[in-house]
Amino acid sequence: MLIQGLHPLEIKLLLHYKADELITSEKVLDELSYNLGQCNQAFSWLSAKELIEEKSREKSIKFLLTELGRDYQEKGSHEERIFKLIQKQGPLTLPDIAVRLKLENREVGSAFGALSKSGLLGMNEKKQVVILDNKKLKAIDALTGLLNLFTQNEVVEKKNLSLEQAELISSLGRKRGASRGLFRILEKEEVIYVLTSSGLKVRDILLNQGITGDEIGILTPELLKNEAWKKQKFRGYNINIPPVRVLLGRKNPYVEFLERLKDKLISLGFEEFDGPLLETEFWNCDALFMPQFHSARDIHDVYHVKDPTHAKEIEQPYLDQVAATHENGWKTGSLGWRYKFDRQFTRRMILRSQGTVLSAKTLPRAKVPGKYFGVVRCFRYDRVDATHLADFYQTEGIVLGEEVNLKTLLGLLKMFAVEVAGAEEFKFVPGYFPFTEPSVEVHIKHPELGWFELGGSGIFRPEVTAPMGIKVPVLAWGLGIDRMALVALGLNDLRDLFTGDIEQVRLRTRKELCRR
Amino acid sequence: MPKIEVNDRVFFRMIGRSMESSELSKALTVAKAELDDWLPDPGGNLIKIELNDTNRPDLWSTVGLARQLRLFFSETLPSYPFFSSKGNTMDSANRVVQVDPGLKEIRPYIAAFIAEGLPIDDPLLKDLIQSQEKLCWNYGRKRSSIAMGVYRADLMSFPVQYRAADPDKTSFIPLDSDKELSLRAILTEHAKGIEFGSIVSGFELFPFLEDNNGEVLSFPPIINSARLGAVNVGDSQHFIELTGTDIDSLLLACSIAACDLADCGYTIGPVRIAYPYDTPYGREIVTPYYFQKPVSLDTAYGCKLLGEEISAEEAAACIHKMGIEVSRSGERLTVTPPPYRNDFLHSVDIVEEIMIGRGMESFEPIWPEDFTIGRLSSMEMFSRRVREIMVGLGYQEMIYNYLGSSRDFVERMNIDGCDIIEIANPMSENSEIVRNSQLPNLLSSESTSGNAVYPHRIFEIGKTVVKDSEENYGSRTSTKLSFLVSDREAGFNDVNSHLSALFFYLSRDYSLKKITDPRFIHGRAGAVMCEGKDVGIVGEIHPEVLKNWGIQMPCAGVELDLDFIA
Repeated sequence: MLIQGLHPLEIKLLLHYKADELITSEKVLDELSYNLGQCNQAFSWLSAKELIEEKSREKSIKFLLTELGRDYQEKGSHEERIFKLIQKQGPLTLPDIAVRLKLENREVGSAFGALSKSGLLGMNEKKQVVILDNKKLKAIDALTGLLNLFTQNEVVEKKNLSLEQAELISSLGRKRGASRGLFRILEKEEVIYVLTSSGLKVRDILLNQGITGDEIGILTPELLKNEAWKKQKFRGYNINIPPVRVLLGRKNPYVEFLERLKDKLISLGFEEFDGPLLETEFWNCDALFMPQFHSARDIHDVYHVKDPTHAKEIEQPYLDQVAATHENGWKTGSLGWRYKFDRQFTRRMILRSQGTVLSAKTLPRAKVPGKYFGVVRCFRYDRVDATHLADFYQTEGIVLGEEVNLKTLLGLLKMFAVEVAGAEEFKFVPGYFPFTEPSVEVHIKHPELGWFELGGSGIFRPEVTAPMGIKVPVLAWGLGIDRMALVALGLNDLRDLFTGDIEQVRLRTRKELCRR
Repeated sequence: MPKIEVNDRVFFRMIGRSMESSELSKALTVAKAELDDWLPDPGGNLIKIELNDTNRPDLWSTVGLARQLRLFFSETLPSYPFFSSKGNTMDSANRVVQVDPGLKEIRPYIAAFIAEGLPIDDPLLKDLIQSQEKLCWNYGRKRSSIAMGVYRADLMSFPVQYRAADPDKTSFIPLDSDKELSLRAILTEHAKGIEFGSIVSGFELFPFLEDNNGEVLSFPPIINSARLGAVNVGDSQHFIELTGTDIDSLLLACSIAACDLADCGYTIGPVRIAYPYDTPYGREIVTPYYFQKPVSLDTAYGCKLLGEEISAEEAAACIHKMGIEVSRSGERLTVTPPPYRNDFLHSVDIVEEIMIGRGMESFEPIWPEDFTIGRLSSMEMFSRRVREIMVGLGYQEMIYNYLGSSRDFVERMNIDGCDIIEIANPMSENSEIVRNSQLPNLLSSESTSGNAVYPHRIFEIGKTVVKDSEENYGSRTSTKLSFLVSDREAGFNDVNSHLSALFFYLSRDYSLKKITDPRFIHGRAGAVMCEGKDVGIVGEIHPEVLKNWGIQMPCAGVELDLDFIA
């Protein structure tokens, strides 16, 4: 395990050092050609795995040449250049020296000051610089020697200098910035590592297995092209490292649930219908033979619209036929509700409160035999909580046919129980819907929810179908699938179906609609 | 759906037998009722029952529900000999209610009877109050079309005056009060006046009931008087009246109350109502009054609907089992609805009685045989294509509610909102409007999802509505796609690339036309043009809008009307 997880940077380092050998970043940089970042990574990974451990810490002082120092190194120091000029040209004034060496008067002045102090140079009565004592070249040589140290090494450590050199370099250096100094001084505490006993064991294993750290990591097009992979081993990866998270495009699981439901229904021969969110009182209730004075039609049972308050017109002949049916039964064989049908009220706009609206609207254009369904958004005048929403999906539909009757209605409900809900146990009880007679509910035993009402169905009253021009019996049905949706999505609050929380939706998973 | 509580001892005594919970559950299906709960209670346990049939107010009391179950288990139909009907008027023994012409436009109808001969006990009083409430609240539309009052008949004298009274000059001491209040003051100072006052407050005169001595009965439909209108345990003579706006439902409610009390053992005494104006049943009606009409069924029609060959004889037996009087003439069955029911409008209503009477389990389910072709709507098919492309582009699909607040959909979006559909009777701030756009939904997600790993790419396919005076409905529902990108460097180019990919894979072309829209940064918004039509909008969301939502990450979005592209 441990061996497989080692990075080449770690492997190479482990292999390179022996027991008790001191490991410093300097050595690693030098001997393994790591850059500082790689070196630090290797140290940190190996320490974490306890394959190396800290032995001690050492404070180190190092020197680097500044730009000025590099200039001195190339051309010689100002002092050296002045001395050589005088040696060659004889006495010269300070400004003459400055012109000839292309230096500033200030620079020449300060260099001459140092040299005259040491007794090497002096000034004659013509204010010309002359050599006083040829033997006192030490002042120049010491600096030149120091600069020469930097020709081989970019960095010079203080521990490698003589006492005099160290003093001189410190006097000419700057710790930071170093604008005018010759040397930059770096102070740093360095950790010194050694291999631990487990580091040594790993080292032995690596040696035994012939792992070098030069195995192929990422397989590149170049490796494929030059076939270098034939000569090298592949580095094994730690395949149990948790993978990086991917943000993917995804359907909403609730939408998927509704899609599966629709797929199920079309597989059973149903054709989908749809319609506008805003409806008239006519289609929402009147066409379904709910009397206009019915208590379910009060102001606090549906949402009304400020503008437009009313539709311009209701399609004929349906308006006249529905109105007559309410008033006296029209030709439906019914007594009707026996009141004055309000033709202004019937045009009033409301938010669709039941999917059955669309069943009614489908009747005039429906085929016989025909099966239709819709999974449509409806609006309820309910206070929103975990079990009530103000807008939600209803699943409803109709079945038209010469042979439609109570027994086929039971068959339809059985089909929904078995095919849509995957129920093995179900029972029928008499139900009530204002627009169907007779009406039946189906209750199913759901594997997770226990017994609950899956749906209801009934034969549309002739007062509903006849005004729409339908002469055959029509089954109207509805399915309550919200609770099944919650189970499928692992939720227990209806509000979560429509959550706007991106992270919640991203992480949500889904079970199948049913086990069939 | 009404829910009632019944005392189990009283309930089972009235049914004539006692039942276990599972047996009761099954029996209740006969009344389309469900057993909710059965709780221990001193003096008899409480059974909570939900009634599903809103056209059967007769079942919303212990007595009424027990009657339906009793009839199912027994052979004899009950007899209620106190009903008058057309051409058959009962003796009202000079008990008269005189109606004032002024009530015609206010609350025109009243029905009344007396019940006597039995001191009322606690469970019965409770049940009487419960059934009064259910009748008046659920069936009587919160007392607006039916209100009921019970009085101490021993203290009052006939004829009773039902008149339209001046609300400022008429006053009495109402129940649950100790001071005399004018009718007008009751509307603002009495709890019931506050609750139900709106039913009458728009009229100049208010309905008012007093007896022959000027003793006040009540201010219907608001509150009884403290003296005559206070019924207590032990009272054995009651005057019951119901007032309302719809005569059929009023007469039915009166019949239900009378049958319930008769079943409890009371003797019902009819009362004559004298109207100064015409009613569908004449100017003089003696109540309780039977007004229902017989309904007939051709047995063959019943068989066709039930899918079962049932003889006329068997069908009649099933109907009888439901407690309904039925006569047979060959294949034709004629039902005389019980006085407490008014839900026989059509022969199909008889078919259901046959179904329940015969038993649901006697009908074998038949798998649907008709061959039909299943098909998704064309918009659903197109939406699925769009959804697949959006998922391929790396978007997470969202789904939102369609109702929202003006704050989110208008103010935060910096628009005037003149084409938004506003709801006239919002239940809360979150149901003030129907959404005109999905962008506010997507932005609301952003405003609460700052902790979700970026980038965010979200979309929704759903419906929106806007006003449209061209349409018959004055509005137009559209199916739309909206998508939004939110990230450190999200911008116009991201969403435009995705828009371009979407159109390519839908085999459609589009071009952009620069537009100014307060929701987007000026110069970075375009109308999406497809075949010469404006089908949507694309752009970078304006920082002002982002600020309104408290979003601190750049967003760019698209909204397309799929109806125009499909």
